[in-house]
Amino acid sequence: MSEFKVHHRDGEGVSVIDLKGYLDAHTAPDLENAFQKLINEKKFNIVVNCRDLSYISSAGLGVFMAYIEDVRKNQGDIKLTNMSPKVYNVFDLLGFPILYEIYKDELEAVGKFGPRK
Amino acid sequence: MSRLKNILSIAGALVVFATVYIVDVVRHTVSVDLEGLLYLREGAIAGAFFLLYLFMRGARAGRSSGIPKSIGKLLLYSVLVLLTGSLVVFFGPSSVDGAEIQTPYFAIVNLLSVLFGVTLGLFSINTLLTIKDLLLHKRRKGTKRNFVVYLVLLFAASAVSLPAISREMAIGSTLLFAASVLMIVLNSFKQNWIVYLSRREKLYSIGYSALLFLSFIALNLLDTQSPVDQVISSFHYPLKTFAQLNAIFGAVYFGMAFISTLFHLPTAEVYERKQSELTSLHNLSRLVTQVFDFSDLVNTVTAMTLEVVGAKSAWLELIKEPGTNGQVSMDIVSNRNISHEMIEVITADRDSSLRRLVLESKRALLIDDTANDRRTKHIRKHGVSIGSLLSVPLISHGEPIGFLHATKDFEFGFDQDDIDVMTTFADHVTIAIENSKLIEKSLKRERYQQEIMVAQQMQKRLLPQRLPQYDCLQIAAVSEPSMEVGGDYYDFVKLDGDRLGVVVGDVSGKGVSAAFYMAEVKGIFQSISKLCSSPRELMLRSNQSLTESLERKAFISLLYGIIDMPRATLTVARAGHCPMIYISGPDARMIRPSGIGLGLTNDRRFEDATEETTLDLQKDDICIFYTDGINESRDHTGEEFGFERLVQVALGSRLRSAEEIKQTILTEIRNYTGGSSYGDDMTLVVMKWLGRLEA
Repeated sequence: MSEFKVHHRDGEGVSVIDLKGYLDAHTAPDLENAFQKLINEKKFNIVVNCRDLSYISSAGLGVFMAYIEDVRKNQGDIKLTNMSPKVYNVFDLLGFPILYEIYKDELEAVGKFGPRK
Repeated sequence: MSRLKNILSIAGALVVFATVYIVDVVRHTVSVDLEGLLYLREGAIAGAFFLLYLFMRGARAGRSSGIPKSIGKLLLYSVLVLLTGSLVVFFGPSSVDGAEIQTPYFAIVNLLSVLFGVTLGLFSINTLLTIKDLLLHKRRKGTKRNFVVYLVLLFAASAVSLPAISREMAIGSTLLFAASVLMIVLNSFKQNWIVYLSRREKLYSIGYSALLFLSFIALNLLDTQSPVDQVISSFHYPLKTFAQLNAIFGAVYFGMAFISTLFHLPTAEVYERKQSELTSLHNLSRLVTQVFDFSDLVNTVTAMTLEVVGAKSAWLELIKEPGTNGQVSMDIVSNRNISHEMIEVITADRDSSLRRLVLESKRALLIDDTANDRRTKHIRKHGVSIGSLLSVPLISHGEPIGFLHATKDFEFGFDQDDIDVMTTFADHVTIAIENSKLIEKSLKRERYQQEIMVAQQMQKRLLPQRLPQYDCLQIAAVSEPSMEVGGDYYDFVKLDGDRLGVVVGDVSGKGVSAAFYMAEVKGIFQSISKLCSSPRELMLRSNQSLTESLERKAFISLLYGIIDMPRATLTVARAGHCPMIYISGPDARMIRPSGIGLGLTNDRRFEDATEETTLDLQKDDICIFYTDGINESRDHTGEEFGFERLVQVALGSRLRSAEEIKQTILTEIRNYTGGSSYGDDMTLVVMKWLGRLEA
């Protein structure tokens, strides 16, 4: 099993979080920390790139739920991108596409933040 | 019993003394002179003193109030004796011959004699007992023997001093007296007790010994004064020699003690230090037993730091779990005689902060003069007055886990010995702290496991204990929690109109909280399901109830179906749950009406998204409800079992009974995972429609 990794980079008013590996109950706190840090730094425009994410459990999905309210309250958003079909299916089953903007491509998602800025 | 003995001793002695007094007065008036009566009188007095000795010895045995105190008491008694003696000098029989005194006056004078005699006797005994205690402190082989020899000589000398005897063997009595004095000198060399006194106690001892020495000299002089001499002789002849010898003993012994203590004084501090180090090191072993209570442990550590190096203040800080950005944040776990604010000022995190310096060198850091040292100059601005400061790191497996600091009010307060001792001490502290943490961890794990067990039992009871029985419908169900407590749930509810509600759900997260949410879901399901005519309505109402009580990151996925037996239909709604597998004839379909997980949102989007699907059931149709633990089971390469395989297995066994289909799926999954434990809970409900029973 591949290890989970959270990598974070900043660009033009949008923060990108790269996920890698398994996001489950054990690794969820890592992502929580990443979100918390961005919120503390008042960076509310967040894109989560799921290109290297191979699995997400319900605990992993819960992390997004925990922070979306805070982020949107501050006129920001969490947008998800580059999901593999398998990972998308998990998001989709739960109805996430109704609640979150999910894009095929990271640039597209970053661009969506543009007009609001 | 011993109390009764005490009372009898004192009462006996008092009776003797009273009788002696009355007999004396009567004898003075009537003037009967019988040699026998005299001896009887002396014997009785000696006996009374012996009784008092027994009482005093018993009274001393119980107490151990420290050496300086007991010497101080003796000094007090000696002053009392001297005062009584002075009274005798001024108001006693003076030079007047006893026979010429009037009886009433004699009665008073004699009372004074008896009182002084008894006081002197008691004081002599007390002197002996006190010196005996001092002598036997850390005694050697010959110590007691020497003292006993003196006692024997003392009693012999006292006995032969009776006028009747001394007249006949004057030389003998002089020899005995001389031998006694010799033994006094010999005994007086035993001053071992001084070594074990603290500096403070030594200072007291010097004062007391000097005063006692003078007091005993004064007593010796007083005893030879004619009125006093006369009074003692007339009260109890042997007492004269007895008291005299003991006064000499007292003078010699405490004279020697004074000189000896004086010589020991310079080494007192060193001795004291060594002793406190010794006690502290001894206490270290107690640290080990205190690891069960962390706060106790760290408080003992700082208290012992004060002791070990004689510091004014001390504090212990531990490094918090390493932060992400290399910053060292400390936790002051115990501080003594110093406030948190002061500590912050002293250790303020600057480039050259003490913590950093110690962290880098991993060695003890000593600042002899904080006011003039560039590393600590800044603290004076804040009004912190500290002379010198010693910081040692606590190193565990080569990595620092914290610091122990000690300060003194004056400059150059710590020497190399202090640094060595503190460093050694720090090693022990590190081990104790590490042990304490380990124990805490294992206790926590144990508590956690107990919680899990309770939750598991609770969870088991929340699942249906038996399945509903129908002629037209086979039902098979299983729920296998993973190693820990899972959040899987399935349930049935019988509805009116011969309908059956079937639900399978998955609570996000695991452990105790998942079990609680599961209980909540069951409560809501059991109460709402009977009020809702359709699965969709149940989803909407459940979502409303749950959104308020669920924490933000928690949600619940649910698949709910109502089987209408008379109509042979199944209506399904799905709230973010795995789709239902529906097998009709050789065809398999995923039934996946749109819907969002419960607790994710409570606005119109949920209502808009939630749909329901109705299926017309044919004979031998199979419906499979399950949780993601089934399709997400993994083989040794991490590959998921997946929906495809699940559907294929179900299709392959579609001709069997619901129970057999369930078993087949479980077996296939077990074969697939290769017996490795399941990562997630697995719940599986298989239903097979047997068709309406038509008449």
